[in-house]
Amino acid sequence: MSTPETPAPTSSSPGFMEKNYFLLRRLHSLTGIVPIGVFLIAHLTTNSSLLWGKWGLRSEGADETIISGGVHYFWKEVQWINNQIPHLLLIEIVLWVSIAFHSILGVYYARTGKANTARYAYQSNWRYSLQRITGYIAIFYIFYHVATLRWGWEFLIPGDAKWSADYAASTLAAALRGSNTDFTAMGVVTSLFYFVGITASVYHFANGLWTAAITWGLTVSAPAQRRWGYVCAMVGVGLMGMAWMSLAGALITPPNEMREVEQRLLDKQKVKLPPQPGTIESRAEESLPMTTVSNQGVSSGQ
Amino acid sequence: MISTFTNTDANSPLAAELAQRMANRKMAKEGRTIIFRIKRCDGPGKPSRWEDFKVPVPKNANVISCLQYIAANPVTAQGQQSTPVVWDSGCLEEVCGACTMVINGKVRQSCSCLIDDYAPGEGDVMTLEPMSKFPVIRDLWVDRERVFHNLKRVKAWVPIDGTYYLGGGPKESPQKQETRYKLSECMSCGCCLEACPQFNLEENKNEWDSAFIGAHAISQARLFNEHETGKQLKDDRLDVLMGPGGVNDCGNAQNCVKVCPKHIPLTESIAAIGRAVTVRAFTRFFKD
Amino acid sequence: MAQQRVIVVGGGLAGLAASVRIAEAGTPVDLFSLVPVKRSHSVCAQGGINACNEVARQQGYSEYEHFDETIYGGDFLADQHPVLEMANWAPRIIDLLDRMGVPFNRTNEGNRDLRLFGGSLFKRTHFAGATTGQQLIYALDEQVRRYEAEGKVSKYEFWEFLWPIIEDGKAVGIVAQDLRTMQIRSFRADAVVMATGGNGLVYGKSTQSVICTGAAAARCYQAGVWYGNPEMIQVHPTAIPGADKLRLMSESARGEGGRVWVPRKKGDTRNPKDIPEAERYYFLEERYPAYGNIVPRDIATREIFSVCVNDGLGVDGQNQVYLDLTHLAPDYLTKKLGGILEIYEKFVGADPRFSPMKIFPAVHYSMGGLWTTFTKGSYNPNDALTKHKSGSRAPINFDIGLGMQLGAPNNSMTNIPGIYAFGEVNFAYHGANRLGANALLSCIFDGLFCGVSVVNYIKNEAPSKKPADSVAQSVFDAAVASEQAKVKRLMDAVDPAGNRNVEVNPYAIGKELGDEMTAACTVVRGEARLKQCLGKLTELKDRYSRLKLADAATWTNQSMSYTRAMGDMLLIAEAIAKGALERRESRGAHYREDHTERDDANFMKTTRAVYDPASRTTTVDFVPIDASLIKPTARTYGKKEASAEPAKKPALAGV
Repeated sequence: MSTPETPAPTSSSPGFMEKNYFLLRRLHSLTGIVPIGVFLIAHLTTNSSLLWGKWGLRSEGADETIISGGVHYFWKEVQWINNQIPHLLLIEIVLWVSIAFHSILGVYYARTGKANTARYAYQSNWRYSLQRITGYIAIFYIFYHVATLRWGWEFLIPGDAKWSADYAASTLAAALRGSNTDFTAMGVVTSLFYFVGITASVYHFANGLWTAAITWGLTVSAPAQRRWGYVCAMVGVGLMGMAWMSLAGALITPPNEMREVEQRLLDKQKVKLPPQPGTIESRAEESLPMTTVSNQGVSSGQ
Repeated sequence: MISTFTNTDANSPLAAELAQRMANRKMAKEGRTIIFRIKRCDGPGKPSRWEDFKVPVPKNANVISCLQYIAANPVTAQGQQSTPVVWDSGCLEEVCGACTMVINGKVRQSCSCLIDDYAPGEGDVMTLEPMSKFPVIRDLWVDRERVFHNLKRVKAWVPIDGTYYLGGGPKESPQKQETRYKLSECMSCGCCLEACPQFNLEENKNEWDSAFIGAHAISQARLFNEHETGKQLKDDRLDVLMGPGGVNDCGNAQNCVKVCPKHIPLTESIAAIGRAVTVRAFTRFFKD
Repeated sequence: MAQQRVIVVGGGLAGLAASVRIAEAGTPVDLFSLVPVKRSHSVCAQGGINACNEVARQQGYSEYEHFDETIYGGDFLADQHPVLEMANWAPRIIDLLDRMGVPFNRTNEGNRDLRLFGGSLFKRTHFAGATTGQQLIYALDEQVRRYEAEGKVSKYEFWEFLWPIIEDGKAVGIVAQDLRTMQIRSFRADAVVMATGGNGLVYGKSTQSVICTGAAAARCYQAGVWYGNPEMIQVHPTAIPGADKLRLMSESARGEGGRVWVPRKKGDTRNPKDIPEAERYYFLEERYPAYGNIVPRDIATREIFSVCVNDGLGVDGQNQVYLDLTHLAPDYLTKKLGGILEIYEKFVGADPRFSPMKIFPAVHYSMGGLWTTFTKGSYNPNDALTKHKSGSRAPINFDIGLGMQLGAPNNSMTNIPGIYAFGEVNFAYHGANRLGANALLSCIFDGLFCGVSVVNYIKNEAPSKKPADSVAQSVFDAAVASEQAKVKRLMDAVDPAGNRNVEVNPYAIGKELGDEMTAACTVVRGEARLKQCLGKLTELKDRYSRLKLADAATWTNQSMSYTRAMGDMLLIAEAIAKGALERRESRGAHYREDHTERDDANFMKTTRAVYDPASRTTTVDFVPIDASLIKPTARTYGKKEASAEPAKKPALAGV
């Protein structure tokens, strides 16, 4: 259709994004699965143990209630992560960089599209739009989550709770509730934000898993895409269950009740260790609520 | 566009759409008059406006026959003298792709759009709009030059040694032929592009080579990569599709395959090209 | 202009094939088309493309037999040499298309599959699903795109050809208009190839695309190009009646086993499925036992017409008959005919796999067109052969250049040097009736074979080697001014008050023209009716001179373009009617109820229509044809009551 009057398109010199277009696109896709997706699975597995931990403890948890068993198991998991995993800081930095990379490029890519679900209300089109919306939500959520509970930006936490690996469950619960006992108004808002945030993140991962298979060319035929879609849906449902379990586990029990369980475990641990001045117990007694200081440098699970 | 004839998948999201149309077709009243609400524009850079036209609907009427009626009687429903609506059309058999427009909010060919399916009752309204992803020339007529430009980007041809007699082409299995034939039915109408959330209006031709190329050209690249001789340009095609505006820009909304009037497996083409560029990238990194 | 250039008008199969061939020879091509070339009317061809092939050859078929069938099918009206050359080239053309990647249907072994088509008892039709035309034009479109990317072809899409510029009796360029900006300008060229197709819109509703007005050919005709056999209009027997157009139901539906019938009982309102075999009248099978449902188009058309109009046996009392495929397996139908059956389902709303289609004939193809000449090839026997028997050795082999001399500059050139006519707009190949699946062949053959002639013409024959370059600019400016004046006349006719006189609505004239031509110049023609038709055309011409436009836009004014074409269509209509009136015999598609027999002595001649600019009318005379290769025989297709010509049956060679 070109006529001599219409100038032929000219290409301008390519920039960094253009030169490394394919690599960046595929790294974006890859980072969503490894390490972010893999971490998400591990993270939700740990966190959901707040509800299923009693059974995870096996014979050890025979005398525990569901709540105390959950807090117990969760405490053990967090202790293991914080004390046993080597190079934890390096792992965390890789994660943070991956999330930042995936987020920045994700926003850049998402801005190239214009949603049109109003006209083409097909399910797949909704998934496309949701993938972008959930991506934006996840960026905000994950940033808040990491900043408040990992980097110690307590000023963003209602009630100024400070997370500690020794009191992982109770400080988390306090950060969500806004107090050690009842839900504050801001606590409700925070909890709702968590609900939206984790739901969005899980959806984003499960759907991303499905599209990644197309992007990389693993699923080619429509039936293959459908089959893989069922698998991703099951993964999504499973993870969503774990995500909601995690949140429910953190919300149904008041922090002070959780703290009793944690204190018991710390005391038990202390018995095994040589007694030291200024123990956790003594500090905990003087400042029961939410000003606990973590005794470990780094931690990952909350 | 979608028909009982080709729609063998009862679970397809389009089955409901089809069922609705069939139900409308059954209850369509004879001798009715309907309203066409048409988005008009006098030329590039001019403002758009809506005009209503009353059109009597004979049996088997389609959007084209109604537009023909309006062209011969360009008077609005309010009795205002107007001008014939400008639109693009050709074969009227849904094989040339010319008469594509947005009807009741969805893109499709207007020739195969039976009025009975959409406006079965007296006074029902049908809206006609130009495609939004291409610059409007006038009224419902848009400039789809970019669609053809994109075919050049992916070298959508078989590089033969000229037209002298050099014997026949390569043998081909019936299965391969069926695959290629399906892809080759693409009439470059642009439905897949109009419905694609990743394919946007781009009036600056200098941007065309870096803007998303769309399902249409990706599928054509696959078509020629599948041909024994066409394969020779495979790497050229893949290199373009790996770059800006290539297959990676696809967001997997998969609207393309649902609005394709020829039921071309566009999403399979996208995935197949995705696989091919993956292989190409590894080959390029480790081997070439 | 540093280099010689060729203008190709029309981007269908013929125009694209010509562009490829000419560009390949190193000559730049400017390709003009009303639509993006990929949307040209060639996409509508469904059935296939004929060529001799190895399987048919071993059953006794040959290129010669293809030639014979084409001449016989055309009722001996075509000059025979070009047809011979075309038939001989057909297998090469298939091979070339195959190389270009056309997805021809395949056998299990991977060979090209074949189907039966009208006018032959051998499977000699190659096909790509039910959209062969689409697949062929796409293959050529792709090759042209390749040359376009290399800068050898410049496309002018959405440009309308307005006038050929002729200086000292030679083509030196054209005037064309951009249909978007409405800019009118001239283009220089050393040769102009017209590949502008047919004129179905003269009949209002036909199977042709809305762009097939015939206006481009009509403009050349007004500029002095002769028009050959205008009255030879093919009416396709099977089309789907529709409100905006008549959609083709391909002959392949019959080729794959479709049966045409009506209920024996007049006014039988039963569901077709409830009508037992004995009460169905398979009139084609009964009247033509050898060919049955695959008789040539003109015969099928007349029989369907006769059954409905004369016998009153039309389905539901209307002008329609059943085309029945329901006895075939649905899966088989989907595979072989999916594309065309879907069209029926889409536009009628019933599935032809399960209920018989209702069809009626519709105007389909113009055998006539711009008159062209050729240089005979090396085969020139003293005596024409009598009818050849299948299975025996073909009397003529298939070397290049037997029928037409390859590269002779005048092949497919009109009476005006430098203006060529390729494809449907060329009157040359199909005589009085075109065989199914020969159209695609003739288009591509013209482009490839005669494209070489164009190159040779501009290199060797054009006197200055660059005729366009030596012509003064004023000639081009004058041509542009003339076209601008025509537009101004139409635009001045826009009623400023917005009041429109219905009498001079161009769309009303278009409708009346279509209705009149359909009634007088299709299946059955007669002297009185044709005279009445000519009277009507005179009246329409008069009204046309007084019409008013409804759109004064100076940007993308489709009404203006349509109305301008309407004026040209009226002249073509007149040529058709005059040719039909003067040809006082029946031949091929032209059936005169007052002259029912073929009259070889007086009318085995080309109808030559010449336009007289002074009186703005057509004069018709008859010029002899070259029929030195095959002696004319009665064209009966073994009809039962007609003279017993032995039907040709496939036989093993040498048995």
